[in-house]
Amino acid sequence: MAKKEAGMAIIRHEIKEHLQTGDIILEMKHITKKFSGVTAVDKVDFSMKKGEIVAIIGPSGSGKSTFLRSINGLEEITEGEINLYGTTGMVFQHFNLFPHMTCLGNITYAPIKVKGKKKDEIEKRAQELLELVGLSEKRDVYPIQISGGQQQRIAIARALAMDPDLMLFDEPTSALDPEITGTVLSVMQKLAEQDMSMIIVTHEMNFARNVADRVIFMDAGKMIEEGTPQEIFEHPKSERLRDFLNTITR
Amino acid sequence: MGEFFSNFATEFVETAAYIGIILPALLRGTLVMVQLFCWTLLLSLPLGLPIALGSNMKFWPVRIFCRFYVFVFRGTPLLLQLYFFYFFLPIAFGVRMEELTTAVVTFVLNYAAYFAEIYRGGINGIDRGQYEAAKALGISKTQTMLGIILPQTMRIILPPVSNEAIVLVKDTALASVITLGELMKASRGAVNRDVDATAYVVAAVIYLMFTFLLTVISNKLEKRYSLYNQREAG
Repeated sequence: MAKKEAGMAIIRHEIKEHLQTGDIILEMKHITKKFSGVTAVDKVDFSMKKGEIVAIIGPSGSGKSTFLRSINGLEEITEGEINLYGTTGMVFQHFNLFPHMTCLGNITYAPIKVKGKKKDEIEKRAQELLELVGLSEKRDVYPIQISGGQQQRIAIARALAMDPDLMLFDEPTSALDPEITGTVLSVMQKLAEQDMSMIIVTHEMNFARNVADRVIFMDAGKMIEEGTPQEIFEHPKSERLRDFLNTITR
Repeated sequence: MGEFFSNFATEFVETAAYIGIILPALLRGTLVMVQLFCWTLLLSLPLGLPIALGSNMKFWPVRIFCRFYVFVFRGTPLLLQLYFFYFFLPIAFGVRMEELTTAVVTFVLNYAAYFAEIYRGGINGIDRGQYEAAKALGISKTQTMLGIILPQTMRIILPPVSNEAIVLVKDTALASVITLGELMKASRGAVNRDVDATAYVVAAVIYLMFTFLLTVISNKLEKRYSLYNQREAG
């Protein structure tokens, strides 16, 4: 049975068995989002398959974050339909860790409160996740005591603890010092290698080029161009994409 | 020179003896003050929370009610409220209430309004990203408020709340106008009877002892709740 959320056009389909790689995990139709008259996202159609890694690039104000945030309901869409075949996890530009909880507390809180997981069971899983993001020794410290890059890796572990089928990354490295973005990107690379489905809104063109299966260029609320990293970065078709690539590589 | 010291010694002994005489009455007044203070804090601290949450609600009848409540109780003098309830409660309930009960009711209603505004400010001061992170993790609205927002609010509201508590110590003196036998009334009684201001000085010292105690407690609490907000040394 599909469940439609009140006031929102997100239809969460309950999955009977696990999705196979290649099955549709997300299908969005005519997504439009207006903020007091200004159209941030303009009739966008989008779909992706399980295991796929999609990078969304574009100038700031192009609607890419708004589009991403509409997938898990952080932005209520004005028009359209979102079919979601699984659960989402999200990583934010500013990490948004819970400052009053330790790193471990951040990771285990939602699984305990939302999924009713047993404490020792989820702590074991948290330990694995801490190892995955390379921060086992930060288990019992508070977010304020670690660097931005470390906080973001904890935030990734926190999202993963809910076992999401699709990970949404909203400019995960934009708030970090350039020299530490690598640590976060390498964790994301690991996830990609583990076949995690991911949508990444990013300004990291090299990362998009190396990790994404598909790159989408958004501008003025529309998806202007999409293709493989090679098509987008080596052979851009539209003038707007060429202009955009020129400005950022200059 | 010798005469000066002997006069001074006599004065001192006489004053000490006088304080010994008025002290039992003042201490009885202090006890009433402490009762009024404790009951007010105990009841108004929790009562402020639903009013704060109500003031933030989308459902307008509740929001308007809570905001109006705060508007009235914060916008009129506590003294007026005391007089009002002193006359109104017996009419409303048909029984003359104890002065302490009347004072507690008035103080609780008044202080809940102040605490509600402090809580509301604290809640609104929490970054929107905290709500978004909670929502993205599927945490319910109630659980987000209880487990994520309110614990963080503690740190923000602690200084203004302890400030209000100190104000409350001094506000208890107002209850003397409805003949509650608290410290202010006790000291005024002694002063009027003996035409000697010593009782006021003693009362002032007692008030200062309480405000000092509260300052110490609030500093301790602030340290405890700011723990997660401080970088490790080194």
